[in-house]
Amino acid sequence: MQGTISVRNLVKTFVSKDETVTALDNVSLTTPPNRILTLLGPSGCGKTTLLRCIAGLESPDSGEILIGEEPVWSKTKDISLPPERRGLGMVFQSYAIWPHMTVFGNVAYPLQMRKVPKPEIEKQVKKILSLVQLDGYENRPATNLSGGQQQRVALARALVGEPKVILFDEPLSNLDAKLRESTRKELRHFLTELAISAIYVTHDQVEALTISDDIAVMRKGVIVERGTPQDIYLRSDDPFVVDFIGRANFLEAKIKSYQSEELCVVTSSLGDVVCNAPAGLEAGTSVTIYTRPESFTVVPADSGLTENVFEAKVNSVLFAGEAHEVEFGIGNATVLAKIEFDIPLQRGDRVRLHIEPEWCRVLNPKRGASRA
Amino acid sequence: MLNQTNRHVPLTALLILLVGGLTIGPVLMLIIGSFSEGIGAIGKFTLDKYISAYGNPTLPATLSNTLIFVFGTAIFSTVLGAFLAYLSVRTDIPLKGLFGFLPIVPMMIPHVLFSSAWITLLNPTNGMFNVMLRNLFGLASGPFNIYSLGGMIFLEGMLDLPVTYLVMAPAMVSFDTKLEEAARVSGASNFHTLRTVTLPVLKPAILATFTLAIIRSLASFAVPRMVGVPGRIYVLTTHIHRIISIGWSPDYGQAAAIGLIVLAVAIILVYLYRRLIAESAQFVTVTGKGFRPTEIKLGRAKYPLFLVCLLFFAFLVVIPLATLIYMSFLPYTMVPSARAFSMMSLDNWRTVIGGTTILRALKNSAFLAVVGATVAILLSIFVAYIVVKVKSKASTFLESLTFLSFSFPGMIIGVGFMWFLVKTPLYATLGGLLVAYVGTYLPYGVRPLRSAFTQIDEELEESARVFGASFLRSLRDIVVPLLAPAVISAWVLTAAMFIRELSVSVVLSRPGTEVLTVEIMKLADDGLWGQVSALGLIMVGLSTVLVVGANLLRLPLAQSRSKRIKTEGTVDSSTVPIP
Repeated sequence: MQGTISVRNLVKTFVSKDETVTALDNVSLTTPPNRILTLLGPSGCGKTTLLRCIAGLESPDSGEILIGEEPVWSKTKDISLPPERRGLGMVFQSYAIWPHMTVFGNVAYPLQMRKVPKPEIEKQVKKILSLVQLDGYENRPATNLSGGQQQRVALARALVGEPKVILFDEPLSNLDAKLRESTRKELRHFLTELAISAIYVTHDQVEALTISDDIAVMRKGVIVERGTPQDIYLRSDDPFVVDFIGRANFLEAKIKSYQSEELCVVTSSLGDVVCNAPAGLEAGTSVTIYTRPESFTVVPADSGLTENVFEAKVNSVLFAGEAHEVEFGIGNATVLAKIEFDIPLQRGDRVRLHIEPEWCRVLNPKRGASRA
Repeated sequence: MLNQTNRHVPLTALLILLVGGLTIGPVLMLIIGSFSEGIGAIGKFTLDKYISAYGNPTLPATLSNTLIFVFGTAIFSTVLGAFLAYLSVRTDIPLKGLFGFLPIVPMMIPHVLFSSAWITLLNPTNGMFNVMLRNLFGLASGPFNIYSLGGMIFLEGMLDLPVTYLVMAPAMVSFDTKLEEAARVSGASNFHTLRTVTLPVLKPAILATFTLAIIRSLASFAVPRMVGVPGRIYVLTTHIHRIISIGWSPDYGQAAAIGLIVLAVAIILVYLYRRLIAESAQFVTVTGKGFRPTEIKLGRAKYPLFLVCLLFFAFLVVIPLATLIYMSFLPYTMVPSARAFSMMSLDNWRTVIGGTTILRALKNSAFLAVVGATVAILLSIFVAYIVVKVKSKASTFLESLTFLSFSFPGMIIGVGFMWFLVKTPLYATLGGLLVAYVGTYLPYGVRPLRSAFTQIDEELEESARVFGASFLRSLRDIVVPLLAPAVISAWVLTAAMFIRELSVSVVLSRPGTEVLTVEIMKLADDGLWGQVSALGLIMVGLSTVLVVGANLLRLPLAQSRSKRIKTEGTVDSSTVPIP
């Protein structure tokens, strides 16, 4: 199938200072066609190494890499295609805009390498520059551009050859916060519009959540979880993933009984809580449950809700712009919650807090990895 | 990083062999030579050379002269360099662009000529400036005598000024002004702050500058030879030169015996210098973009201080150049007057251009500049590539080998090459001079190229590969064009350096392999200042064209390559030899 990349049992180790570091530990992965897959993880998790192996800039120790149906690297078949014969596009972290060329020279390069006739090159470069809103910049020296413009030249160069897959190596990390946000939206827009296959590497969870169709969270050379941004953020039961992405309240608890296949009641310092849990945990099992701060709502006394309503005391209130960050005391436990700014709360207030069982989840005790 | 480390192993080994031969080779031969009976009897062991060299009755006086000359120069040039660096980096002194000009100065006016110009101005018998002062005040003699330790320190100090300035200026730039502001807030005056905060923080940088000035003046030959020898003031370099040039049998063994000690001292000093530089880097409290120190307002002192700066520039460039031009048209030294101007002619220029020896020297110097620079830069490209791109123990070793010769005084390494070459067919040929030039000045080629390689981001090459270019194609499209300006400018600077080379040439140059600087020195010995000036100006013209060309080439490169912020008054140090 065009536009997909398959990685099978990839292993890559580095030797630095007489110490062997396993950057990729038997990684297997297939990217969805015409979608954006993000490799997310802390630095040193192997995400960039994986991307560079796919690009051909790094050689794995063993395993196999396929672009479409074609193996581009395989230990057993002794195949190792150099980067220039893999037909990919790439946006580098430093943009890697060639300083001695104009904007046109940079963007036209992939086409020139393919010996596309000159008039055709000019037409295509013009088209792609207009797409990234750099019309008329053809003859500018590439160094005479702002950071955001350089980023767009890098994108145009990656897009122009209509590659099977585009690789992004932390492409926004060199932009300042404000520009990063607008560029993120812009990039998402381009990629959705063009229905292109992309692998995107980042350590920024917000970037990953907004830009991806699919996220693979990596840790120590292993993919720990794979899913849509919603799945990863809201429904993960992996301790590392939950802790790495966003903020969470963690509480120790014990399984009491299952209400249905997914819902179960646990006892914790909050009292009895109805949670979403992995199936098949025995009663009495010690578990950790987590809640996201934004899942809590303040409910009136006559709400009629009976499950997951807690008497809470306001310990502190922090105004954080779009919401209040409130620390509540519930029994012996404290939880952090984001409460809409129009609900007036003061230290010492007593309120009722509610959380949907869907957003109160039990971490899977079978997942070995501890929290980040 | 397309793991190709293994592919570089044979190349690294070859380079270590070549560079090692060129740097360690002459030193080994110097050691062997000092224990040999003579240049024709290498390896016949004897201690005679040490006994006679160190028993020489003139040695104690030479040593004390050397100490006074070296320390005097170091103090003078360090104070001057720190003063100018402070003014240009930290204050609102006008015309800061002028300071950017400083490092180019010594390349335009070689030391031999600088000395010649000042000799015609300040020699005790008919120095023009002395004559004018005598006429003005009715003095019988004096008042200045350039043929003295004071005169030597004055000239050498001025010539080392660009180097001391270049080491001091970056230290001033990276200095955190908050430290001073804290002192001011705590109640210290401007002057008190300078004394209690600024100077102590800058101490390692100042000491490093001082050490570097010592290294430079210890190795200095041109000034002691031109100014010291006529006044019978010998320092170690001229002492060694006397051993190998005067009398019926030049004694290269004794020269080696003395040279080895000087070499050892120089190596220790360079080690010390590097430690001090590292220490001063630890005091760098502010780094990063957009940082600019607040300028100190000089107020009423502004223009007087500016005038002082202008005076230094006049001493360094304007006065010597004007003197050389004036002298080149005169038959003998004359104070400017109607008579002097009526006697002006092109005779000196005609004599110089018409002389067969000088014409040969011109050709030889041009050959050494062009071919020598080409060989040196080719070698430097490979060395720089291995040093930057291959991370292995061998490449680190290669790097330290290359930079070893930074500490070698040219005169002494010249004697080393004498021993090194004497049994080879290269002895007394231009090829021999070429080998010695390349070996002695290799660090000055490697240094700018190494930084050029470092600046070419790996991703620039990698992106070409991803977008369809083969390895060779990416070299052609990306690496070569990005490197070319640095290569050209390094070539030109090396060529300019070879044109003004004196201290190695003076040992190795023989009839038939004359070079310009040595011929100028001989003309000066005969008192033919008019011809010295004419020939010197031709040389200045040659190297100025080269240096200006290099800077024109470098400018667009520096702009396109990096957008780093340059603080006014600081300059790229790669034009000036600093270890």
